[in-house]
Amino acid sequence: MTEFEREPQEAYVAWIAREARRPVALSPDLRARIVREARALPRPVRPRRSLSWITAPRPVTRAPLTSALLAAGLVGIGVLGTLTLTHRDGRQTAGQQATAAATSQLPASNRVVVHEFVLHAPAASHVSLVGDFNGWNAVAAPMTRTADGTWMVQVKLPPGLHRYSFEVDGTNGATFVADPKAIRAPDDGFGPSSLLLVGQGAST
Amino acid sequence: MRRGTHGAVSALLALCMAAPLGLLAQGSDPLAQLDATTRHVVQVLMDSARSEGLPTQPILSKAQEGISKHVDGPRIAAAVRTVFLSLRGARTSLGAQAAPEELKAGAFALQAGIPEGALQGLHKASHGKSVTVPLIVLTDLVTRGVPSDTASNAILQLWTRGAGDADLLGLPKAVGQDILSGAAPGDALLKRARTIPLRPPGKGSE
Repeated sequence: MTEFEREPQEAYVAWIAREARRPVALSPDLRARIVREARALPRPVRPRRSLSWITAPRPVTRAPLTSALLAAGLVGIGVLGTLTLTHRDGRQTAGQQATAAATSQLPASNRVVVHEFVLHAPAASHVSLVGDFNGWNAVAAPMTRTADGTWMVQVKLPPGLHRYSFEVDGTNGATFVADPKAIRAPDDGFGPSSLLLVGQGAST
Repeated sequence: MRRGTHGAVSALLALCMAAPLGLLAQGSDPLAQLDATTRHVVQVLMDSARSEGLPTQPILSKAQEGISKHVDGPRIAAAVRTVFLSLRGARTSLGAQAAPEELKAGAFALQAGIPEGALQGLHKASHGKSVTVPLIVLTDLVTRGVPSDTASNAILQLWTRGAGDADLLGLPKAVGQDILSGAAPGDALLKRARTIPLRPPGKGSE
């Protein structure tokens, strides 16, 4: 490049620099106009990242063992739910501890009392408490044996009149026995049973 | 082979999902083990009881007791019908305002063979007090062999003369001991009834 050619270029660059440094006078309502026009534009729809991640289709591969484990988990959840609901309905199907409370089908009350049922049956191999408070379910309230052959269980009961009996397993099979210390209920052919009044006096 | 494995896994999954649902359906229905006819009888009687304002729990309980004791369907149907009719009879005798526990106690009394007149007598003498305790004590005594009219009169007399619930509830055991010792049931009751302290009418009982 010759000296002649360089001079006009430098003059041109200087002119550009001068123009660039020159303060620009903006219109006073420019800011307001920009804001107004920006607001007038439609708002872009932007899907939420987490939602799109969940809803976007994608191939999933699982080993058969993983599938089986997932299935087992689902079964576990289902069985737990079943047992919980069944318990609420008063028809427990799982073995319970001797001190476990039997759920009542009678009206709920906040004056639930713990009552201890006792039966002396030294020859029995297994004794359960069955009654209207546990749907007459023999596995709902198994009784525990003490050294002298007395069987006992504690059960939570709401106020009201309850009918119950003991299911005793012995050498002659299962028999139903009334509570010898309690009020007797009439026998309608289904076997002897007893009455317990909770919340008004005490029948035993 | 791969398709067969997928099919087997799918079937296993379906089975695993269906099993808890089946258990759930059975567990939530306390009458699931009854045959269709007996189940229908129980449901109709419970519906009738509900529509008449009678407690349904004794009917359901009797059906459950029958299921638990492996009683056959016709006997369960007959038993729940008896329960329903005795609840209805108790309502007639004890009045429309009777509490569910009074109706249950009244139904037990009627099933024990105590006449409706005895229930009406207690109801008339109740003056707003619950008749549950005298009714279950009466039921017990009759079940132990005390003649119905003897037991009804004795309990009515004791109750109207201010005998407390605890006094009445202590009678069956005492009478039972006397019966075991050889006393006649009616005599045992009359003898024990004389030992109960009475309170002046109007002072109430415990």
